[in-house]
Amino acid sequence: MFVPLRWLRETPRHLLVCERSHVRHERSRHASHVRDHAFNCRVSFLIPDCGIVPEAFKSAVAGLGEYYLVKNLSLHELVTEEFINTFVKKGSCYALTYNTRIDQDNTAALLPTGKLILSVDKDTYEELGLQGHPSRYSGKKPMRYIITLDLSESTFGPDSKKHKRIIWALKEKKPLEFDFLLAWHHTGSEESILMSYFSKNQIQALQPKVTFSTLRNVQCPVLDNNKLKGEPEAACSAQEFFEWLGAILSCVGLENTPSSFLSTYSCPQPSTFVEQVLLCTITGFILPEKIICLLEQICCYFEEPKLAHWISLVVHGFADSPVSWRECEHGFLKGGENLYNLVIFRSLDYWLQMAVGAHDDCP
Amino acid sequence: MIESGDDKGFKPASYERIVLKNASEYYYLKIYLEFQEVGISLNAVEFKQLIISALKRLHGEVGAALPVDVLSYEEKTLLAILRVPITGLVKLWSALTLLDSYQNRKCAFRVIQTSPFLLALAGNSRELVLD
Repeated sequence: MFVPLRWLRETPRHLLVCERSHVRHERSRHASHVRDHAFNCRVSFLIPDCGIVPEAFKSAVAGLGEYYLVKNLSLHELVTEEFINTFVKKGSCYALTYNTRIDQDNTAALLPTGKLILSVDKDTYEELGLQGHPSRYSGKKPMRYIITLDLSESTFGPDSKKHKRIIWALKEKKPLEFDFLLAWHHTGSEESILMSYFSKNQIQALQPKVTFSTLRNVQCPVLDNNKLKGEPEAACSAQEFFEWLGAILSCVGLENTPSSFLSTYSCPQPSTFVEQVLLCTITGFILPEKIICLLEQICCYFEEPKLAHWISLVVHGFADSPVSWRECEHGFLKGGENLYNLVIFRSLDYWLQMAVGAHDDCP
Repeated sequence: MIESGDDKGFKPASYERIVLKNASEYYYLKIYLEFQEVGISLNAVEFKQLIISALKRLHGEVGAALPVDVLSYEEKTLLAILRVPITGLVKLWSALTLLDSYQNRKCAFRVIQTSPFLLALAGNSRELVLD
């Protein structure tokens, strides 16, 4: 049945995927979910009943490593043989265009798997002359195209036709220039290689920004690690907890009555008062490998008896990245949200909550 | 959709997965109020009243009855986070867009970020400034 102006009442689809398992379980997928989410702009963790920052966390946060901002870098520099051999094939190389918007500009991202993904508008796509496919979210008349180049492919040799064509397309046919966020994770040699490699370009080494704060007298929902859906009067559901976490991180007041004029939001019930909650926020270009290190620290934290029942680790992805999880296409539409939250319980059971908006696959 | 499996090795380690599709009842908006002149301040109650009057002007009494929550508000920056039932999002957004004055002084609401998840508003990569 045709319902006039239905879109006025219906909002775009959004998904919240909740998983529950144990960190040490051999088939647990939490680490691969973390690893598959390549581009992260903000990581926060929340430790209830903790007043002083534990030393292990301090050093883990200090060891997040630097990332680089390269200005006006031609895209063809990322497909040269030298770059591929130095960075892509040795370790994990991450690159994402900075200050480009996925819903209006051309964007590019290099994944640690060696895939270079370009999300370009129709005109650029036609000028480039590289093989791609229409964006899944651009409707019947595609205005955006996705080009995937596999740089680690064996047929991508310096003398291959394919390589020559890509270099020609990106260098002469339609030169594309971006500001790039770059980071390289590898074992062994020094990190400053990226800095010297791009010394001809304007390159800047950056450190993630870290802030620690303590929240006092916080109303915390009661959770039961075995009950994702919660239980009336016994434990809150994962969805309620997710909203509460948003309220805490956005400094929203929790003590409203149903009749108050300004806001009727209140902490989900049942809840307890926690005297102090430690909140750490890290912003920058944060690699999944570093998030896994943080996660290890959280697990180690519970090796000794602690007051906290759980620790929460929230990771926000880049809204303008062309991918969210793995190589799944990502779009913006109204918010471009792609984020996840890991709740690690004292028993090392975990909840993983992944949220995406309308232009995303189910993670 | 629920998938679950039990494992004998770890007692508490059963696996469960729930996919909640369109489960959020609310939509969240991060907005700020911009004035042409400088030095105008509103307290939280006046701010909410302004939003209700905007809704009333465009959608009448039905619009004014929309349960909009001002979750947080900063008087200095005129920055606020609003919560609205999902069915009222378009009503609220249109009313905010079409509001043009407060006490005969020109103003406009700017919507910075929207999401069905409040947590998403805590991190905005478009505001990431690197120095």
